[in-house]
Amino acid sequence: MSVNSATSDDDTPDDGDESGGPEEVEARVGLRYTLKQVRQDTTARIGTYIVGFMTFVAVFAAFDYYVLDYAIAEAVLYNPETDPENVRRLLPPVGMENQFGQGVMAHPLGTDHRGRDLLSRTIYGTRIAMTVGFLATAIGLGGGTVIGAVSGYYGGWIDDVLQRVTETIYAIPFLVLVIAFMTAFGRNLTFAMIGVGITAVPVFNRLIRSRVVSIREEDYVEAARAAGVKDRNIIFRHIIPNSFAPVLVQATLQVGVSILIVAGLSFLGFGAQPPTPSWGQMLSASRGYMLPAPTFSIFPGIAILITVIGFNILGDGLQDALDPRINN
Amino acid sequence: MSLLRYTLRRFAQAIPVLIGIVTITFFLANQIPGDPVDIMLGPTPAQEQVEAIRARYGLDRPIHVRYFAYLSSVATGDLGLSIYYDRPVLEMIILRLPVTLLLMLSAFAFAIITAIPLGVISAKRRNEPADHVSRIISLIGVSTPSFWIGLVLIIVFAFYLGWFPARGLVLPWADPTNVRGAATQFQVIRQSMHHLFLPMIGLGTLQMAQITRIERSSMVDSLQGEYVKLARAYGVPESTIVRKHAFQVAQLPVITIIGLGLSTALGGAVLTETVFGIQGMGRLIITAINNQDYQLIMGTTLVFGFVYVVGVIITDITYSYLDPRVTYGDE
Repeated sequence: MSVNSATSDDDTPDDGDESGGPEEVEARVGLRYTLKQVRQDTTARIGTYIVGFMTFVAVFAAFDYYVLDYAIAEAVLYNPETDPENVRRLLPPVGMENQFGQGVMAHPLGTDHRGRDLLSRTIYGTRIAMTVGFLATAIGLGGGTVIGAVSGYYGGWIDDVLQRVTETIYAIPFLVLVIAFMTAFGRNLTFAMIGVGITAVPVFNRLIRSRVVSIREEDYVEAARAAGVKDRNIIFRHIIPNSFAPVLVQATLQVGVSILIVAGLSFLGFGAQPPTPSWGQMLSASRGYMLPAPTFSIFPGIAILITVIGFNILGDGLQDALDPRINN
Repeated sequence: MSLLRYTLRRFAQAIPVLIGIVTITFFLANQIPGDPVDIMLGPTPAQEQVEAIRARYGLDRPIHVRYFAYLSSVATGDLGLSIYYDRPVLEMIILRLPVTLLLMLSAFAFAIITAIPLGVISAKRRNEPADHVSRIISLIGVSTPSFWIGLVLIIVFAFYLGWFPARGLVLPWADPTNVRGAATQFQVIRQSMHHLFLPMIGLGTLQMAQITRIERSSMVDSLQGEYVKLARAYGVPESTIVRKHAFQVAQLPVITIIGLGLSTALGGAVLTETVFGIQGMGRLIITAINNQDYQLIMGTTLVFGFVYVVGVIITDITYSYLDPRVTYGDE
């Protein structure tokens, strides 16, 4: 019974009725089932649109950066990294005015403290946020799945040791842990990603472990064991696929959390280094100009907000769509 | 008596976690590239000078010896000397910790005071406009970076409207003679609240949103409980049911989420202190990192972990105190 997004009109979707009827035998797990449920849930659909759009922007930005060296950005907008030739610093968005001049159509969202186009930097900042969000979650998911599965399946001292270690990691406030981790290993985006991923390990570990403990005693797992299937195969072929739904929900929400943490890290100077456009770092730069050019601080924040809302709505929607208690 | 024993047992259980935190911070701090002695003495120091400094801070001993030495000195409350400031780390932390705790406490107070009514109204008027509004607020709250909320608050309430100061913090127990524009303790407290207002909202919004979400779903469940049906059947007024029967039971998950939210809030405090220029623990750890002052980095990280562990124990104890079903193991 999760908190659904406000955009949904109904808490208990009535669209799950067709599935699971007597004549239609379909497994309530797996990708196809998920996609079907998502299509029928308004909230999940809106979340999918936002996440899909942001992913598209990120892929486009990455393609333009890695392959074309900002050719598209320069042709259509401005290069987000290099300072322009005739610098017009801290211009407001079009239609507004501040002490540095009047907003111009050429820079719809205005310019930053070095005269770079804010729209272009905000768009290209998507690349960093999405990459880090997805990869950090993948690291947390991978680590947490292995630890949680092994811990829950074997129990005993292995469980004790692994759980105490993850508990300890969880006991250090995660922003502080990532900062300490990055200071030790390197102050760049790769370690930001790994650090944020490590902080997500306990989250997935806890989820997978509890699933494994409850599934371990199920008949089909017993049967597989009796038939001589190896432990490793039981874990990865039977137990983990059966935990698909809650893991997917958690992973979706975790991408949003990771984006927030990395934005915070960049804000403190621990993420992407200038001139690479990243939202957290743009906000950090804007701090010096909040009085003369307040709009500089607004747009990167809105970009973060929309992206994270997308993942949160999608996660909530998925939870409602995949929760058997609601669909029954 | 049993509550006291439960409390003591929870603290005893936390000891391995605390040792774990010391271990993690020690080995992370030892990974830090660059020799702290180089930073202190510049690029070309005299050999004797280097050795003297190394001996003074115990850097000449092998790592496992240093680890156990650090562990035992932490156990006695000694966090070592700050290499950069040449002052005891504990002394510096004691100056800063109250600032961060004040910020955290006010943020949680703000979060709880706003979230509980929002969540209860949302659950009571499920799928009505009030519910939608409360859910939009909480959705935005969990999706907004706390430091950006801080920046927006500064722009609107400090720069544009001029209602609150944009930077700094005055401690409510500060000596009036040290506070500009304050003659009495009462004025100091007023200034303090004035300064605290914006950071409190910036840091507390995420917690507020999370508590609202849990409060709502917990109340929805609770309002469907058998005891609520029974109370209704007896003709107990609806407002009494919400207030007395459903509300109390629904608070247990809320306490759990407050405990878990401590970790996010402590991290958020680092950001909020940066945004508002508040000299608390968060700024201390950032300064320590920028100076590569690794004793101070270890000490601050350790204290962050310690505050979190103590906070979780406090929420656990509150939980067991409020939940009549929890026994303390010996009853």
